[in-house]
Amino acid sequence: MIAREMFEQFKQRFGPLIERADLPSDQRIFVFVEPSSVRHVTRHIFRELDARYVATIGADDRPYSGKFLVAHNFAFDREHLLCSLLSYLPADNPRIDSITDMVPAASWAEREMRDLVGIEPVGHRYLKRLVLPDGWPEGNHPLRKDVPWNEVPETFDDTREFKFDDPPEGCTVVPFGPFHPTLDEPAHFRLYVEGEMVRGCEYRGFMVHRGIEKLSESVMSYNDIPMLAERICGICGCVHNVAYVQSVEEAAGLKPPPAAEYIRTIMLEMERLHSHLLWVGLACHIVGFETLFMQSFRIREPIMWMAEKISGNRKTYALCVIGGVRWNITAEIKLELRNVLDKLESEWQAVVAAVSRDKNIQKRTRGVGVANPLLVKSVGLLGPVARAAGVEIDCRHDHPYAAYDRVEFDVITEQGGDVWARLMVRMKEVFESIRIIRQCLEKMEPGPLQLEIKDELPIGRIGLSSVEAPRGESHHFVITGENNRPRRWRVRAPTYQNLQGVPAMIKDQQIADMTISLGSIDPCFSCTDRLETIDPRSGSVKVWTQDELLKLTRTKKEARR
Amino acid sequence: MNMLHMIVGGLTNVLMVLIAAPFAQGIVRKLTARIQSRQGPPLLQPYFDLLKLLGKEDIESGEIPAMQRFAAYLSFTAILAVACFVPVGFASPMNASGDVILLIYLLTLCGICTLLAGLAAGSPYSLVGISREMMSMIALEPLFAIALVVGAVHAGSLRLDRILNGSPYGGVGLSGIIMLGVISFSFQAFVQRTPFDIAEAETELMEGPLMEYSGPKLALLKYAQMIKLIVYSALFVALFTPWGSGLMFPFGWLLFWVKVLLLVLLVTVVAATHARYRIDQAVRFFASLAGVAVVALILASYGY
Repeated sequence: MIAREMFEQFKQRFGPLIERADLPSDQRIFVFVEPSSVRHVTRHIFRELDARYVATIGADDRPYSGKFLVAHNFAFDREHLLCSLLSYLPADNPRIDSITDMVPAASWAEREMRDLVGIEPVGHRYLKRLVLPDGWPEGNHPLRKDVPWNEVPETFDDTREFKFDDPPEGCTVVPFGPFHPTLDEPAHFRLYVEGEMVRGCEYRGFMVHRGIEKLSESVMSYNDIPMLAERICGICGCVHNVAYVQSVEEAAGLKPPPAAEYIRTIMLEMERLHSHLLWVGLACHIVGFETLFMQSFRIREPIMWMAEKISGNRKTYALCVIGGVRWNITAEIKLELRNVLDKLESEWQAVVAAVSRDKNIQKRTRGVGVANPLLVKSVGLLGPVARAAGVEIDCRHDHPYAAYDRVEFDVITEQGGDVWARLMVRMKEVFESIRIIRQCLEKMEPGPLQLEIKDELPIGRIGLSSVEAPRGESHHFVITGENNRPRRWRVRAPTYQNLQGVPAMIKDQQIADMTISLGSIDPCFSCTDRLETIDPRSGSVKVWTQDELLKLTRTKKEARR
Repeated sequence: MNMLHMIVGGLTNVLMVLIAAPFAQGIVRKLTARIQSRQGPPLLQPYFDLLKLLGKEDIESGEIPAMQRFAAYLSFTAILAVACFVPVGFASPMNASGDVILLIYLLTLCGICTLLAGLAAGSPYSLVGISREMMSMIALEPLFAIALVVGAVHAGSLRLDRILNGSPYGGVGLSGIIMLGVISFSFQAFVQRTPFDIAEAETELMEGPLMEYSGPKLALLKYAQMIKLIVYSALFVALFTPWGSGLMFPFGWLLFWVKVLLLVLLVTVVAATHARYRIDQAVRFFASLAGVAVVALILASYGY
């Protein structure tokens, strides 16, 4: 179904409720409605039309329209359509009805919107602070346009502590994080444990916010941001780089030359290769199988060398600019890449054969951390986690971008939804990635790498881009703006949704399974934590205040002298 | 004269074990590395590691520092005491001053040290670690005890030299063969290697009971763990494959250490090719082995 038919349906059903609609292409639909009818329309889209929830974005639009803007994004995966439901809120009282009772997946996004933009989701049942550090004063919303990007509020209170919920009766608290050998980045799970069984947990993350979105809309320019975007993540940086550029291109109506699209596809797939190989290694490390951990890292290494040869860097490729890419894939690199892929394929076949026969690994992963299709729909789980539950979603197939519409590949799904199924999905996807890269190398033809952009980019346009990261859909939302920079850029990384499913996955499981369950979503905290500055303190059980810790370190240092 | 013989013999045993244990650990690390396509550290690295740890500042930490110190000393001395009673190339030197029951007690004491260490640390992780240690101890410790008792039943004596000499096989050998299977399957757990390193599980419990240890005390605990591998291997060899121990000096002695080395290699290969089990899976596994062991004990008491 193309956008126009969908819009006709909306018009018939909601008629007068729709204020305005934009249909920039067959794959996009932007519907503006009154704030009071957002719930009504959402119910229709999410329940009756069975759309997938993608993201909620709050924006301070007061300097331009005098109002706040809220967008709920949904995806119709079978129809290859992304839909955004927007509404303007009055500047003096930005409130909007929460949709979380229908769409639990929107819980974090609405809490974040309240923290950062100060838009109140009315009816949200759990309005605890999500993103801002503990000491940040109430009523100061850093993503509002009147807050400077480098301001630390004077009322910032170092000593304020995060209030965790009380554990359920009969449970003890086992803190998991903020630092733990299996967490590569800080995040704090307070596990409520009864014996060896986990009965629940509370999450406190967002400890490494870097203010990336605020920087982009106040300091940087369109072509600086791709470099910043790829530093959002330590593993899947290229995904953010491409997704940002694509959303700006879409907003401005630009189409990059075909050679650039093929190069983007190749680099995205190389990133998936090294990410999946890394994950299989880490998963084995978590369950104590060090040999396979070492072997998959050995197999992964040539990919990193190849990336370095192509882009000059193992990881941060600095690939995109608006309208194209920055470097070419030459004939000799093509040849070498083919050889690397051949070797990788045969070595990986051996690993897959060994793992799929291994009873020992199955014992630790089957029936562990189960996410069923119902949970996938309600919490909006993405990527391999969803595909392992038999839900066939893959942006490369559903919302093709770059050159994915010109290559053939299978969307790998498994049944079971447990850690084992996720392991199998990721292992098999490696072969699909190899297949895609080979086709791209085959079909790619020399040509220009960048568009020549003479005019300024249009102002006030909206662009959406969903890119299938190794961990699931990475969704970027851009409103173009003045001064050669966007007005608002919102990143929704896949872990943002997948983490919300973790409490349900680890409930009533053993502590020993907690780490592999969390590991199985391949969590990427830096992606999730991309906003705002200031590092908050941890909330471990024995609480040191920051001052005490500082004093302690200083006295020790003095004593040494 | 007899007293002197005992003391010299005991000290020789302790010395040999002290020297051999880090070397065995070096072999474990090297072989593991080769299996994992890595270069691996030099064979002598564990000696340097221990020396380095011993030279570090002795930090008091955890909830009960005194108990922490005590647990480290005790685990080191307990396992060395076991070494005095086990033949390590020569016949058991302290044969006359203890019997099998003492040996069983000493082996249990080694496990209890881990509990003390975990209690002393007092963090939630170490507490989970010791609860796991306790669960596996309850299921695991009887196995070696039963093997020794089966030997005692066949030998008709509690004397060490008569039991630690292939005695579980008795006349017919049926119960001995069953116990050989049981101990082989659980051996990995006795020496606390993957897939049964559950109490320390780095990725789950951050070393569990050991988490508050550092410096010399950590060195002692690590040393004790290395010695455990040698001592349990020696016990295994003495109980189930004592053949050739009566040979003339260098031959019997050499044969013994070759057997121990083979066991160490086997342990390494198993550890490198398995994922860690969960505690409930492990306990269920030990429990079924215990059931089999009891059958062997009954058979032994009827003379099989």
